[in-house]
Amino acid sequence: MECSSCAPAEIRKDRDHTFIKHEMSKCPKCQVPIEARIGLRGNEVISLKFCKDCGQSVEIVSGDAKAYMKAFLKLGEAGVDLSGEEKFFKQTTSTCAKCLDLIVVDVVTRQNKVFFKKMCPKCGPSEALVSEDAKYYINAYSYARAGTEPLVFATEVEKGCPTDCGTCGDHEQHTCLPIIEITDHCNLECPICIVNNKYSNHISLDDFQKIIDTLVSNEGHLESIALSGGEPTSHPKIMEIIDIATRPEIARVVVITNGLKLGKDKAFAKKLKEKGVYIGLQLDGFTADTHEKIRGRDLCKDKDAALASINEFGLRTQMIFVAARGVNEHQIGQAVDLLMTNDNILSLNFQPAAFTGFGGGKFKHDPMDRLTIPGVIKAMEDQTDGRVKMTDFAPLPCSHPQCVSLTYLLRMNDGSFMPFGRFVDFKKHGKMLRSSATLGASAEMQEVFQDVIHEVFANQDDIERGPEVLQALRRSVDVMFPDRLVNPKEAVQIGESQAKSIFLHHYMDKHDFDLERLRKCCHHYPQVDGRIMPACGFNMFHRGAATGPETPLAPWGKGPWDKSEVKPAFEEARTDTRQALAGLSPGEKPGKAPHNTELGNK
Amino acid sequence: MSKLLEGRVALVTGGSRGLGRAICLTLAREGADVAFNYSKSDAAASELLAELRKITKRAWAFKVSVLDKAGLNKMVRTIDDEAGGIDILVNNAGIGQVVPLALMEEEDWDRMMNTNVKGAFLTSQAVLRTMVRAKRGRILNMSSLAGVKMMLAPVHYCAAKAALKGFTEGLAKEIARYGITVNCLAPGILDEGVAVNVPDNKKADYISHCAMGRVGTVAEVAETVAFLVSDRNSYMNGATVVLDGGV
Repeated sequence: MECSSCAPAEIRKDRDHTFIKHEMSKCPKCQVPIEARIGLRGNEVISLKFCKDCGQSVEIVSGDAKAYMKAFLKLGEAGVDLSGEEKFFKQTTSTCAKCLDLIVVDVVTRQNKVFFKKMCPKCGPSEALVSEDAKYYINAYSYARAGTEPLVFATEVEKGCPTDCGTCGDHEQHTCLPIIEITDHCNLECPICIVNNKYSNHISLDDFQKIIDTLVSNEGHLESIALSGGEPTSHPKIMEIIDIATRPEIARVVVITNGLKLGKDKAFAKKLKEKGVYIGLQLDGFTADTHEKIRGRDLCKDKDAALASINEFGLRTQMIFVAARGVNEHQIGQAVDLLMTNDNILSLNFQPAAFTGFGGGKFKHDPMDRLTIPGVIKAMEDQTDGRVKMTDFAPLPCSHPQCVSLTYLLRMNDGSFMPFGRFVDFKKHGKMLRSSATLGASAEMQEVFQDVIHEVFANQDDIERGPEVLQALRRSVDVMFPDRLVNPKEAVQIGESQAKSIFLHHYMDKHDFDLERLRKCCHHYPQVDGRIMPACGFNMFHRGAATGPETPLAPWGKGPWDKSEVKPAFEEARTDTRQALAGLSPGEKPGKAPHNTELGNK
Repeated sequence: MSKLLEGRVALVTGGSRGLGRAICLTLAREGADVAFNYSKSDAAASELLAELRKITKRAWAFKVSVLDKAGLNKMVRTIDDEAGGIDILVNNAGIGQVVPLALMEEEDWDRMMNTNVKGAFLTSQAVLRTMVRAKRGRILNMSSLAGVKMMLAPVHYCAAKAALKGFTEGLAKEIARYGITVNCLAPGILDEGVAVNVPDNKKADYISHCAMGRVGTVAEVAETVAFLVSDRNSYMNGATVVLDGGV
């Protein structure tokens, strides 16, 4: 199914299968242990494998996809209870939190929580909390849907995942949201920062132009691109950067910022408005102590000033709230309030803290007691008197369903908001769930709207404020689907006027890294060398900061800003899951020459 | 052969007399529980209701206009509560009026369009709630040969019956995904109903052009209706069936 974030659908091809999970398996030819990608293709269950020595293979695992999924979910559900008894659910590939080696881990449920149980040959056993709600975690798999191929893959399938990043032909999703780091300078030193600022680079206009050209060439059309850093507003040529990104193939340019410059420099804020960009405002606290813990100093006045500029110039804004246990989780409800009361804030993106990067890698935390997606939703429910509830949210089907959860909030005619989850069956209408801050006025969405309207119409007596929801949907349909052609930018803006959204995106770290999730990542960091790196793989292995500033670069890793063509020596380290599965030491069984597979062809 | 409509619940608009009455009785004979609405004749409605109750387990009569949205919703809710939904809707309510365009008042036009077209819209909308929920349904709109062929008939009547054909096709496309089919039946001149107003010379003209050499009967039309709204008619959707003896 075409990733509905990103029209036009007719250009990109959908995958012929829906990727579900990784499973530990063996190469059918050489019998070396490798991981298999399990996918649903029509009514079949297939196992896709890549062996460095023998190449790609496809096996049919079952001829009854429905029964297979039922059994898979049942296995997980069997462990969803409040008892202390531990139940095995599946295996996946994670990392040792100490040495960062890839290791095979057991995914287990216990007391309605999900944990990775690890045994690193070098560092010994460990555990990590992966989800605070096993029921949510298991059920999320039922939302998975087929990914979409980019027009061009940036790299070839040579060594396997994650060494081939990225993105290679075996990656299961195209780039929904490219996050382009345009500088590694910043005007804050956040204790929770997930990147690794070296204060050494501002991207050149030529390099940025190349990245944009590559993205457009690889994707055709992009609903959003995000400019990040560092602090992107510290780039001396930010306006020229925005000009380069402003082109018909890109519907929305978002500047992810801490807001300091925005609040201080009104002329700058005014220019951003004139350029038509969106603001991604980092705002994860409302009191001095939370700012201090997360961002290093009291930013209350700075954030107020940023919001004042946003309101003064009507800057369309997405709010980003990094939530950490025991730090700012008690202010989650306030963030929802702000979303619902400020007309310029169109969406709210909660990110349960990932403990990776220059700051985050050493941020004080307990891997067994941390916020995960269900925990943040629960906090929302508790702190908003149920204005948003657990049942309002659904996993985003086009990414890996454990990565993102979301709901839309329909603007009612009286100005209040109604979560879509109250009147839409998200499992049935997965197309409505998009990796986008707002609803899009696409033809596909129009189809979904028609279904939803009929269902609300038929069941209005049983739906909370049913007749009012119908009135609001009527207004939305009139506005969103006018009797004329609308261009992608217009479609995005029309959608924004009808509904807001709340996203939860849990980036991974050394504790909960899951190669299976990385496989379908759709938030990518485009690099100056042409690679388009799935976000968490880049953070874990290429920044060199997964466990804090002193983390060495992964043996196969190549840091940001590195334009060199030379690939690191793969032979010198345990670099892939095959070696991890086989328990091989570095250098024991290096890979052969690259396979030029059909999927991997440029 | 088993009955066509066993276990089904049908609503027939304009059911108390003429073609509507024949349809009600035929659907009941085929096993459906039948509800009908009417706007004028209490006596005819009572008589039909009594007839129906001899044939079916449940039958309902509602004195409500097809232009009374609130009344229609109330009627549908009552049937829904008592029978658990409506499976079949026959939009039969309609009026005829013989008047040349030159003398046609705006009110004439509006009354014709309202009763024959808007009534079908309002009733369908009210009933659809139950059908979408059940993901099942049959809607049949009673049009006329005058809506599909060039005939010497009043223009507002022709326009209204032609509108029902468009209404049928649009609705059929929109709601097929819920397992609901929508079709249209266009009878020629009949021995009862609005056709009784057709002048004798025009009726004779019709008969002279009809291969079967006679007008149709409401019973014949009702038999066709029973099949069209049955599960045995499973693949027809958005169609207009002409029933005219071969004109």
